[in-house]
Amino acid sequence: MKKSIRRLCLVLALVMVMSFATATSAFAADTWTVTCPWAPDGVASLVSQKAASLSTEYSKDITLVAEAIKGDAATVNTWVLDNEANDPSLVFVGEGLLSITATMDPAKLQFGYEDFVFVENLYSSVFVLSADAKLEINNIEDLQAYVADAEEITVATNGATGSEAFLAAALFGSMGAGDALKLVPYQSAAEAAQAVSRGETDFAVSHQSQILETYNQGGVTVVCAFDEGAIENGPFAGIEGVGQYGYPYFRNRCFIMARAGTDEETVAALKELYDDILADEEVVEWLHDTMLLEVDTMTVEDVEAHVENVTNIVNEYIDIVQPA
Amino acid sequence: MLQHIIPASGLLFTLQNILWINIGVFIGAVFAAIPGLTVILCVILFLPVTYSMSAIPGMMFLLGIYCAGGYGGSVSAILINTPGTPHAAATMLDGHPLSKAGRTKAALKIALYASTFGGIFSALALLFLGPQVAKLAAQLGTPECFMVCVFGLTIIAGVSGKSMVRGIIAACLGLLISCIGSDPMTSYDRFTFGVNRLYLGLDLAVCLIGLFALVEIVSRAEQKPNELHMDTKKMHDNGAITKEEYKRLARPTIMGSLIGVLVGIIPGTGASEASWFSYSQAKSMSKHPEEFGHGSVEGVAAAESANNAVTGATLIPLLTLGIPGDGTVAIMLSALMINGLNPGLSLFTTQGDIMYAIMLGLILVNIFMLLQGKILTPIFAKVVSIPQEILTPIIVIFCFAGAYSVNKNYFDVCVALVFCVLAWILRKLDMPPVPILLGLVLGKMTETNFRRALLISNGSPKIFVSSVYCWIFIGLIVLAVGTILRGKIKDRKAKADPPKEE
Repeated sequence: MKKSIRRLCLVLALVMVMSFATATSAFAADTWTVTCPWAPDGVASLVSQKAASLSTEYSKDITLVAEAIKGDAATVNTWVLDNEANDPSLVFVGEGLLSITATMDPAKLQFGYEDFVFVENLYSSVFVLSADAKLEINNIEDLQAYVADAEEITVATNGATGSEAFLAAALFGSMGAGDALKLVPYQSAAEAAQAVSRGETDFAVSHQSQILETYNQGGVTVVCAFDEGAIENGPFAGIEGVGQYGYPYFRNRCFIMARAGTDEETVAALKELYDDILADEEVVEWLHDTMLLEVDTMTVEDVEAHVENVTNIVNEYIDIVQPA
Repeated sequence: MLQHIIPASGLLFTLQNILWINIGVFIGAVFAAIPGLTVILCVILFLPVTYSMSAIPGMMFLLGIYCAGGYGGSVSAILINTPGTPHAAATMLDGHPLSKAGRTKAALKIALYASTFGGIFSALALLFLGPQVAKLAAQLGTPECFMVCVFGLTIIAGVSGKSMVRGIIAACLGLLISCIGSDPMTSYDRFTFGVNRLYLGLDLAVCLIGLFALVEIVSRAEQKPNELHMDTKKMHDNGAITKEEYKRLARPTIMGSLIGVLVGIIPGTGASEASWFSYSQAKSMSKHPEEFGHGSVEGVAAAESANNAVTGATLIPLLTLGIPGDGTVAIMLSALMINGLNPGLSLFTTQGDIMYAIMLGLILVNIFMLLQGKILTPIFAKVVSIPQEILTPIIVIFCFAGAYSVNKNYFDVCVALVFCVLAWILRKLDMPPVPILLGLVLGKMTETNFRRALLISNGSPKIFVSSVYCWIFIGLIVLAVGTILRGKIKDRKAKADPPKEE
């Protein structure tokens, strides 16, 4: 009996050491962790995981390890506090933090753009506006006609003050229907898609991949894309872009950042690795066919222009998203 | 369907798949048995392992973790009065008293059998009724979800112990704590006091560690050394379950499995809610309600069958509508999407063999969970024989490691300690901790659905009676409240008119 208890204690101690090692995740020096501060099943996290899984094929020196710690500003705050220049750690930062939170609630951010150095942008996502199929709204002209007569317009969004909420506010606000617009926040994009398909709201804003299945089942129509022109490929090819009618828009982008002060050569090596991964046929095909995204490598100037564009939209339509 | 079953079986029954299922089951059972190390955390940690696999072995591995995690959480709940995962909290109420009465092996076996039954029941529901059930679930909107939450809150009466008033106070405390973090409807901070880490609210697993595990340690420190030692030799724990007990287990297990499937198909709800609903239902239907909370075999079976029946049910909206039924399944969605599979009904046409292989695989996972569980049960049961002076520090270290690992920061360790102090004070005031947990589980969901429903209806409460589903839930709520009141009246009468001794 004593022997078996001793053995059991030994097993428990081993499990304890293993769980500690797992919890602290001690990696080798050339391993770069890429922290995604959003849901582990979200688009950014999935793309990061895909890129990380291919990193060893394209580099002998750098291994990328994707991790998702849901927490948005809180996660990035902690990342900034915990990391110094040249630490082998990267983080995702998008327009949600740099433009929306920075404008609406700057006190929440313990960092600024200057705390990061841009490495690469992996993809850009064109959001779409879907409508309850019963409303029979199939394009922007139908939408304009609907908005002209509507006393109330309800739009399901993922979260109360995210990119989706501002895109809806910008579109309906610029159509002159800001007062009639009611944004209904849901806990996830999937919930928002379901809400519009059962008629709980009139419209929903989401990534293309998040509405695809609901669209395939006939619950919704896809009205327009939040982009300059029409969608060119995929199941939503031909859907008009709001830019064609002069309405404001932005694409969803998430930038991979290193801590400010990191050596230029290191940043260049990381950027090269990401660019090699993004040039991989398999990745391009996967992003395109499964995720309905586009590969979108960027420069620092592009990033700054994107942040400025979204900030302008936020400033203009903040009263609709968060009435005083 | 039949045209897919044979090719799907061919894809599923490979040595590689069976190996990965078993590895997943073992990892899930051991991981979830450690307080704080939740199933979702385990799936996140091991997800990268699936990157190099194709869809079926990857999903089998993750399903192994997911299903066995449902059972693993009950192990620590039974052995050390600390649920390894939040959904095993209801199991703890009767599992640990059974263990203290010297029936550790029996309690673990009941949990295992009930979990397996629940798991296979939901796997069959997924296989045969998936698309139909998913369409029904898609009809349940915000007001219906709110009604589900209200129904859940009626459980408080059943877990309040001696005083319902104290239970309600504790539940209100739980509801208040669930308000910490960003307002779900406006994103404004509430009760965060400028602490960034509180912005997302408190993690349920961390709160559990403080509420149940650490406070148990503190209370042990208050006991005299001779009170701590259990004479396990005298207990004769052969793990036997009598015929009479098997008969008693049938009804709560079937009912629990049904409840687990129904709760699991509603996106946003999960195993925690299901196990509490089932526990409460089993208590109200039992011929021995007085045993609940003191080591009822029915209580363990009801909670465990329900929380494992959720596993297949959460896959129904995922595989048929592309909507993950809970957080863990949402991570599994990644494993499918990384392999280029975008779940939904259309996938049944284009990749039907793979979809059916995954659904059949869920049955296989549960069978292997039963086999591994039978081997592991005697080993797990030996934990109660470890001297307290060895076991207690090990539990404490696991608790702190578990709290740290949730978000990889020390703030959560402090939160666990705060909850430990809170639970200790409540214990001194004779307040039950379980209603706090219920408040935490249901709080945010109740509030979000209530406020969203009123936002949609422009403040009109008529929305809560706007569909036939709402009326069904209202009926269930009335029934539950009626049962509670009848029980209380009976108790009062029994106290006022005690039976005469012969």
